[in-house]
Amino acid sequence: MTAQIEFVDVQKYYGTYHALKSINLTVEKGSFVALVGPSGCGKTTLLRSLAGLEKISGGEIRIVGERMNDVPPRKRDIAMVFQSYALYPHMTVEQNLTYSLRIRGMKKKEARKAAEDVAATTELSHLLKRYPRELSGGQRQRVAMSRAIIRDPKAFLFDEPLSNLDAALRVHMRKEIRTLHERLGATSVYVTHDQIEAMTMADRVVLMKEGRIEQQGAPLELYDRPINRFVAGFIGSPAMNFVPATVGADGQSLVLDLPGNQTLPYPGRLEPSRRVVAGLRPEHLVPASGTDALIRLPLRGAEATGATTFLFTESDPELAVVLNGRNTIKVGEELGLMIDPALIHLFDEKTGERL
Amino acid sequence: MTRVRNVLLIAVALILAAIYLFPLYWMYVTALKTSTAMFASPPIFAPRNPQWGIFASVWQERHMAGYLWNSLVIATSAVVLIAILGVGCAYVLARYRSVWVDAGLFLVLMLQVLPASLMVTPIFVGFSQLGLLDYPRLATVLAITAKAMPFFVVLVRATFMSVPMELEEAALVDGNSRVGAFFHIVLPLARNGILVSATLIFMQAFGEFVYSKSLIQEVGLQPASVGLNTFMGPNSVDWNRIMGYASIYVTPILGIFVLLQRKIVSGLTSGALK
Repeated sequence: MTAQIEFVDVQKYYGTYHALKSINLTVEKGSFVALVGPSGCGKTTLLRSLAGLEKISGGEIRIVGERMNDVPPRKRDIAMVFQSYALYPHMTVEQNLTYSLRIRGMKKKEARKAAEDVAATTELSHLLKRYPRELSGGQRQRVAMSRAIIRDPKAFLFDEPLSNLDAALRVHMRKEIRTLHERLGATSVYVTHDQIEAMTMADRVVLMKEGRIEQQGAPLELYDRPINRFVAGFIGSPAMNFVPATVGADGQSLVLDLPGNQTLPYPGRLEPSRRVVAGLRPEHLVPASGTDALIRLPLRGAEATGATTFLFTESDPELAVVLNGRNTIKVGEELGLMIDPALIHLFDEKTGERL
Repeated sequence: MTRVRNVLLIAVALILAAIYLFPLYWMYVTALKTSTAMFASPPIFAPRNPQWGIFASVWQERHMAGYLWNSLVIATSAVVLIAILGVGCAYVLARYRSVWVDAGLFLVLMLQVLPASLMVTPIFVGFSQLGLLDYPRLATVLAITAKAMPFFVVLVRATFMSVPMELEEAALVDGNSRVGAFFHIVLPLARNGILVSATLIFMQAFGEFVYSKSLIQEVGLQPASVGLNTFMGPNSVDWNRIMGYASIYVTPILGIFVLLQRKIVSGLTSGALK
């Protein structure tokens, strides 16, 4: 594996606003990296800096080992799919596809051939003579993708390309982009605010917040071992439950800040009476009865979706539970829950760091 | 209810249009009248004996070909100059956001407020010291350019702002330079807006009077607006001939406007895109 793209201590200021704070990131050749985070976290700025559309204030960006800081976008040999697709409205689909080839001096005939080849793989062959305004959202999306792949660039950049599509099409395109990536073996950097998109498509997820990288790693690594409360809360849907708790006198149990003496066993050893926050994923909480139940709280509501049921407890903080199958407990009755102690995440109460 | 209201609104619109268009109608009608019909009381609205020959004789007698040629030369030069200078200016004002750009825009708008009759004296003095008055048509073109530029810049800036930045960025990533992206992507998309604005400027420049009257002394170089003015002495009575002149002068401009009005209206309102 060789590094295709490297960010070394990248800084970006807009006036006094610090948009990117010392970003260090390596994208391996042929890998699919998702930049994910809440809006305003700097993920789009990072992508635009890589494309050369923003000038970074410090650090270094390298593509295949070459320093790119002062190289204009056209000489970086990257392709980008924009959120709005940015198809040229005054050009036909074919002209949109061949624009980059023609600028590089390719003959008209060869360019047309290339457009036909790409169109054949993306099911656009019958639309080559149309204008973007005559296409549906999904077709425009495919034109934008084709415009990127026709060039065989060093990297593909995606800026939230699916956010303008309806839910069903989004799921479909997710798979299509992933398949395309595998077929071309190209290096891809994908920006999204949707953690499900990031988790399902990427080899590596980079989670950002306020201009910093919070955690990067394989999707399940972020899910299994989030390094702090923010990552834990962002990855996973529905979001993780956070319950403040005190470590018991034996150092091996957690007394939750919930009504009633609710205690969870803890497989590690912690300083007695230390204040912590316990993170319990909704899908890890399992209904239990009798002595198996570690947590007992009244049920406040249930939302059935067929395959799964979401349960909410009447407590502060409220606990969300994802149940496989149907719920039999009535609202207001007691809900008993258990959890595998190995699946409990613990965070420092003040810093939010993982313990 | 809505039908009654629609009919009422249309009626009001027609009445207002009739009031606005009456002078135009009166101009054409007067040109065709005989001298007795012209002063008849009550006035005659549809002449019984239209004098179609008036146009040819006025054209001959007042040397209109020369005047109109001068108008055309001055207006075309001004429009070309404004388009070349103004498009770049409007693009910068549309794409960059800073205090300086805001200040520039404010100044541009200020310039539009100043009337030609106020500006003509300083311009005359300045031009005469520079020796520009030796080339009176050029001097007039420069003065008109300065006067009409703000209007053009403000209109074209709005057009450029309606071209999404992402299209330009896509062109940059696709391998074009900033300048190339401007000519390949932005300019074609802003074309309608620019043409509409240029047409409006042309119509304005074609009828320009104050600068032409003050800066061009030589009769052979004067535009039709000044020619019309010299035709109209304090004791003139041949209104039909004056109106004939005016008709010949105005009809081409009206024709352009009628032909392009759909584009002009949509260009002004929607920023000429989509």
